[in-house]
Amino acid sequence: MSAPAPAHSDVTPNSPARMVRLVAGREISTRIRDKGFLIGSAVLIVLILGMLVFQVAINSGTDTTRVGVVGGDAAVGEALRTQGQALGTEVEVVDYGDEAAARTAVEDGDVEGALLSPSGVQPELLVESGGGQVETLVQGAVQGLALDRQLSDAGVQLEAPPEVEVVPLDPDADADLEAAIVALVGVVVLYSLLLLFGQFVAQGVVEEKSSRVVELLLATMKPWQLLSGKIIGLGLLGLAQMLVIAVIGVAGALAFDVVELPGRLIGTVLTVVAWFVLGYAFYASIFAAAASLVSRQEDLGSVLTPATLLPVVGLVIALQAAQDPTSTLARVTSFVPGLSPMVMAVRQSAGEAALWEVAVAVLIMLVSIAVIVRIGGRIYAGALLRTGGKVKLRDALRAES
Amino acid sequence: MLEIDGLVKAYGSNQVLKGVSFSVAPGQMFGFCGSNGAGKTTTMRIAMGLARADAGEVRWTGRPVDDAVRRRIGYMPEERGLYPKMKVGEQLTYFARLHGMDAAPAARAAEHWAERLGLGERRNDKVEKLSLGNQQRVQLAAALVSEPDVLILDEPFSGLDPVGVDSLAEALLAQCRRGVPVVFSSHQLDLVERLCDAVGILARGSIVASGSVDELRSGAVGRQLRVVAPDAPDHWASALPGVRVVSEQRGDTVLELAPGADDQQVLAAALATGRVAHFAWREPTLVELFRDAVTATPVVAA
Repeated sequence: MSAPAPAHSDVTPNSPARMVRLVAGREISTRIRDKGFLIGSAVLIVLILGMLVFQVAINSGTDTTRVGVVGGDAAVGEALRTQGQALGTEVEVVDYGDEAAARTAVEDGDVEGALLSPSGVQPELLVESGGGQVETLVQGAVQGLALDRQLSDAGVQLEAPPEVEVVPLDPDADADLEAAIVALVGVVVLYSLLLLFGQFVAQGVVEEKSSRVVELLLATMKPWQLLSGKIIGLGLLGLAQMLVIAVIGVAGALAFDVVELPGRLIGTVLTVVAWFVLGYAFYASIFAAAASLVSRQEDLGSVLTPATLLPVVGLVIALQAAQDPTSTLARVTSFVPGLSPMVMAVRQSAGEAALWEVAVAVLIMLVSIAVIVRIGGRIYAGALLRTGGKVKLRDALRAES
Repeated sequence: MLEIDGLVKAYGSNQVLKGVSFSVAPGQMFGFCGSNGAGKTTTMRIAMGLARADAGEVRWTGRPVDDAVRRRIGYMPEERGLYPKMKVGEQLTYFARLHGMDAAPAARAAEHWAERLGLGERRNDKVEKLSLGNQQRVQLAAALVSEPDVLILDEPFSGLDPVGVDSLAEALLAQCRRGVPVVFSSHQLDLVERLCDAVGILARGSIVASGSVDELRSGAVGRQLRVVAPDAPDHWASALPGVRVVSEQRGDTVLELAPGADDQQVLAAALATGRVAHFAWREPTLVELFRDAVTATPVVAA
């Protein structure tokens, strides 16, 4: 049983917007079911999570130190904690009833060391092997306690020592560095996604050309509708992936307490995402125009290589700018279209770019996107129906149809 | 009425079309013939807006064909083209939607045409997994899925086995019965002769002959007469006025009569030699008409 033939009333002319939506929808639905894409995305997310775990592992050196105490009082615990603060570690005091219990705890690794008779003549510290940090800690605490005791025995009344007031000269320096590091991670992700999705656009263009389906498509729509549908569809997918990574990254960083200023972190991430949108529009158009010149996937490399050099340069400068965001190189290149998404994102996050600089960079970028979409669209339209060898750039531009 | 009117196109110094004109009525099947490189594909691509004519235009129901009209044309390009990694059903649905159908009717139409062209079982297979013949069916289904008002098919029969040819021919005739004008190009002239109401022969950038096959026959230069007179001596007909002997073999003679020559005089001469077993005008095949048309000077039937 076959369905009845459709009636003519089912057909209404597509508006250009609907055409673009249809093309974009096909790009998304095909790509999202592609195994390679799904695996690639999973790997990227695992990488980001791995980076976070690595950070946490490095920072865990400042974690708590557990010290067992046998026969101590509140003063002993207090002294250990104060000493811990000075050494940059949080001390947790565990009281044990007798030496045997403490010994077992040390052997089991429950505590890093156990202090026996702290107030006695000969205090003893049980450790599994070499003393290390816990030895310094306990030594300091016991000394302090002994000193206090002797002083109070001698009748000296201790006054609270004066607290030192800290006056930071560049209060944001640490935060700036942190933000620059976040921006750098963001820019590396931005760079990878730019190239990845630019590559997707290029492959899609060549696929349509090599399978000749483009002739059937162009019988129903204009080249610009096909091009913008493809770029917008893949762009939305790229943006979604960027946002997923950003959310996982920010949530992870907050959950693991890797960063100090969550507000600033979110601001930096948003900056990077915004630059991704501009960078993608720029490179996707260039890649699409370049790809339209060839008819086989094998030839894609030869036309894309020149176009991929620019983002590589941008990444290198951005890496350098993260260390020295005020350098002349970083300052100048942060205005160059194509480089600005990476360099300006880093400068901006480091707090070294004035608002007007950002505005100018964005404006230059927008103007060049407009120019590239226009010229690229013409190359694309001119080269699309020419199959066979590589189409010369000049011929594609000159072709009317 | 689909009208192709005076199309001119040059690629650089290569003048491909020098004023190609023909028209196809609703429900008519038009066979577009011509030697390789004669300009058939260029003509069709101009009609589909894939190439721009230097002069001339294509009209449908009296109006120049624009993008809106083109979405109502089913097209099959010479270079077959489908997304290799897309499933048959999804692909057909997509093309139906590009032609302006909504999602649900498009899916229904895709199912209908896949079923009808014998692809029902392969709907969920990727196109690249299909045999060439089946890919060709998908290609045709892509042209038909939006129930177009006009069909323009470039070499739709090439590469099909006889069964495939029959089912494609059946599908095209069904479209004609719906009132759709169908234009297709082909080198298989026997097929064109069998299917088409009208034929256009393109040579050196213009239509050198067009009309129904019968019209082409009646207008053909030098009509041929076959006479079988077993007892006739050699050269029995060579002296007759306006008659040229094309071939002669043991009493089986093919004669070409100049316009105005009297066939009854030939019959009388034949009877004079004895028994006449066969006397009839020979219907030239389209192949012969084609050969004459592309080699001789232009002849356009009324």
